[in-house]
Amino acid sequence: MTDAAVDINGVEKRFGDLVAVRNLDLRIEPGEFFSIIGPSGCGKTTTLRMIAGFEDPTAGRISVGGRDMTGVRPYRRPVNTVFQSYALFPHLDVFENVAFGLREAKVGKAEVRTRVDEAVTLVQLQGRERSRPRQLSGGQQQRVALARALVNRPEVLLLDEPLGALDLKLRTDMQTQLKDLQRSVGVTFCYVTHDQGEAFSMSDRVAVMNHGLLEQVGTPEEIYHRPASSFVADFVGTANRFAGRVEGVEADRYAVAIDGIGRRTARGPAGLESGAAVLVLVRPENLVLNGSVGESGGLDANVVDTAFLGAERTVRLHSPKLGELTATARGSGEPPEQGSRVGLSWADDDAWLIPAADAAS
Amino acid sequence: MNVRRHPFAASVSLLVLLFLWLPLIVVAVNSFNQQTIMAGWGGFTTHWYGLALHDQNVRTGLETTLYIAVASALLSLAIAVSGALWWRRASPKARAVYDGLIYARIILPEVVSATALFFLFLKIHFTLGLTAIVIGHTVWNSAYAAIIVQARMAGLDPALEEAAADLGATPWRTFRRVTFAALLPAIIAAGLLAFTFSFDDVVTSVFLQGASNTPLPVVILGMIRFRITPEINAIGLLVMLFTVTLMSIAVLIYATAGSLGRSGRRGNMLDIYRGR
Amino acid sequence: MDRDQGGVAIERVAAPPPAAPRRRRIDTGRFARLALLAPTLAITLVCFIVPLGLIALYSFGSVNQVDFNVYFGWTTGNYRAFTSSLYLNTLARSVILSVSTTLACAVIGFTFAYFISRQSPRAQRLLLVAVIVPFWTSFIVRTYSWVDLLQNLGPIDRFARALGMNGHIDILYTQWSIGIGILYSYLPLMILPIYVSLERIDPALFDAAEDLGATPWRQFRRVVLPMAVPGLIAGIIIVGVPALGEYVIPEILGGGKTLMAGNILADQFLQTGNYPFGSALAVSIMAVLMVLLFTLRRAQPAADPQ
Repeated sequence: MTDAAVDINGVEKRFGDLVAVRNLDLRIEPGEFFSIIGPSGCGKTTTLRMIAGFEDPTAGRISVGGRDMTGVRPYRRPVNTVFQSYALFPHLDVFENVAFGLREAKVGKAEVRTRVDEAVTLVQLQGRERSRPRQLSGGQQQRVALARALVNRPEVLLLDEPLGALDLKLRTDMQTQLKDLQRSVGVTFCYVTHDQGEAFSMSDRVAVMNHGLLEQVGTPEEIYHRPASSFVADFVGTANRFAGRVEGVEADRYAVAIDGIGRRTARGPAGLESGAAVLVLVRPENLVLNGSVGESGGLDANVVDTAFLGAERTVRLHSPKLGELTATARGSGEPPEQGSRVGLSWADDDAWLIPAADAAS
Repeated sequence: MNVRRHPFAASVSLLVLLFLWLPLIVVAVNSFNQQTIMAGWGGFTTHWYGLALHDQNVRTGLETTLYIAVASALLSLAIAVSGALWWRRASPKARAVYDGLIYARIILPEVVSATALFFLFLKIHFTLGLTAIVIGHTVWNSAYAAIIVQARMAGLDPALEEAAADLGATPWRTFRRVTFAALLPAIIAAGLLAFTFSFDDVVTSVFLQGASNTPLPVVILGMIRFRITPEINAIGLLVMLFTVTLMSIAVLIYATAGSLGRSGRRGNMLDIYRGR
Repeated sequence: MDRDQGGVAIERVAAPPPAAPRRRRIDTGRFARLALLAPTLAITLVCFIVPLGLIALYSFGSVNQVDFNVYFGWTTGNYRAFTSSLYLNTLARSVILSVSTTLACAVIGFTFAYFISRQSPRAQRLLLVAVIVPFWTSFIVRTYSWVDLLQNLGPIDRFARALGMNGHIDILYTQWSIGIGILYSYLPLMILPIYVSLERIDPALFDAAEDLGATPWRQFRRVVLPMAVPGLIAGIIIVGVPALGEYVIPEILGGGKTLMAGNILADQFLQTGNYPFGSALAVSIMAVLMVLLFTLRRAQPAADPQ
């Protein structure tokens, strides 16, 4: 097994009485675009700062490229950071900002020139080398910060919510650019954001954190379609949940008794035992609305409200047996009438089980 | 100018401006006035300038004052910058004490602090003289310098130093290449301000001069006491032009230092009254 | 890291690896920080606090008239000397003069600051420069120029007589000339903090007040005045406190006839040599100032009235 780009082992971080990160084990593979997402205060930024060296773990160990980084100061680590506020040096122009790290490494003048030119071209800021940060727009400053970090050819690039201050259009453009950049340069990216959509659009794998704990790590599909907990399910999208109990295992599916409905089949994580309390998760886009009640095997609901969003239509429903539900349908076609009764169904493969013990989160 | 809406305030303001500028104009005009008694204009002359520039007392006074001002400014800057660096990571309680001491040094009447220092030096048998004066000036000069440097420091993104470390700079190089460089406009402005205050100071200089050469303002004070010649006006105008030039440079440097970080705030000396 | 098909979180390690070794960096960090504080400590502790403490201590001492040695002994004789009418008069006059000048300064300064704040940004900058530049000129020369201006047969005297006044203005070397001198020197210091306070007022507040039925005068009273209070108080402190201890202005514009506390203090130390009495005077001045400061700070609204 090759060395991980970043290996986090049993790391804990306390600030006085506050535990910001607990018992974290994480492995980032070389060359991947890895994101850490979670709500404010979940510990994602603290984790990033520990990788960078600005904070020391209270317990545990962090390695970069196979080398233990315990006690290693930030200026000796083979990682570079793109800061949320960009932190461009106001008294230096773009060229000197980008060249900063190279000068610290005592790189020769000619090589500095070449590499800075390379980096500036990479982020498409040719011609602005002599500008001061205050003369640049937010997006341009962001790209300078990126160039400044990448020019040092770090083993890992850390990005702390770098797109937060940009407006929506610019943000989406930058997301595409970042993804392409990472692919072409091949450097391991570790990206922190609270925006699930942003992380999903760019990342190979995503880690979800909550209150200092790692909830789940996986590809965006895994996280979305097979969340490990209620928290993860809610954080990455809307979810319909039904309480139930596992009755048995059939091939690679579970048989589950859903309160108020009866026996259904669903997929789930390995290791659930008969009798375990679970939540059955069905995403709104997988909830099928039928015109006639009879087709759905007896499940029905009243349409409370619909909202037209363009490409999609959100339908809020109330079912006497299942409670409040949300369904998403295509924008085209006739909307269901408010107050009407519709039939509900879903494919067995689209139902996913979450252990109910996690429901508390 | 928006005058019509506030006629009362406008007239008061006009009077205030006249009030503030009148003495300056009088000094300037009289420095060229041949007439010594206040009987009006007696004809243009540069005689007083000649007197002033050749007066040995004045020349020694100028040298002495320049020395004191430069020394005090440098010392005050060292104190202000080191204090500001400490302040960044200090606890709120420690900061409150530090700020309080700055405030106290500025507010306390100079007579009291000069007296106290005089007394201390007496008791520990420290010779009064130029060094004593420099120390005396530095007590309050460092406070003014600290305010300016601090105000600038507060506007610096704290991430700047982390960024420097992230890019491979050791703490010393971070200070040199980032912190100090970004603070430079404020340091220069504070230095010029401290210089000007020292250059102009009377009270502390009188108390602590001992047997040393007399600084220029005290020379002027003597000339005033002993029934003056209009030479004072000439000296006065020259000194005024000098200090106004210095302060204008200070303000220009501080203001044109430009925005810091993303917020695009332009530095402004009034910041000292704001925010903190 | 173990993962099953569902991508569920990894197995927890049975026992976490031993804690990272405690670093000695912390000690060097604290040492460095203390080193940064050292210069400030030196100048404030040694050259500011200690001398003031010394003065306070010796205010309870006495001086031997024969050999001019200063003895330290616990006597309150120095403070009792204040009750002699000579000193009491002078001190009272000092306080009254400072207070009244400060008040005049506050009223005039406020008016001016208000006027500035109602101008366009360009005009504001111009006016501020016009106020500050005189402040940058030599303090002693400016003060001296008032001697010329205020003396009998000087320009102001002749102007007044031209307007029909009999006799001379007789202002120089009285309390009035000192008052004018103090007003002149400290006016910019009063204007600036008030201006800053006023400038902060969101113009939308005026619209809001008007919308709620307030006339211009009431707008002024209920919006402008309250929000200007912090600046006003800051200005009163910056002006009033140093004014109490003024030395140069009474010296030049008081002509040796009219004295203030600052002059008496200087005299005790530089000429008479009665250090204990001088110390008591210094302590008294500081006491008055602290009371002043305290009451003014209390009057100041808690924080930024944003």
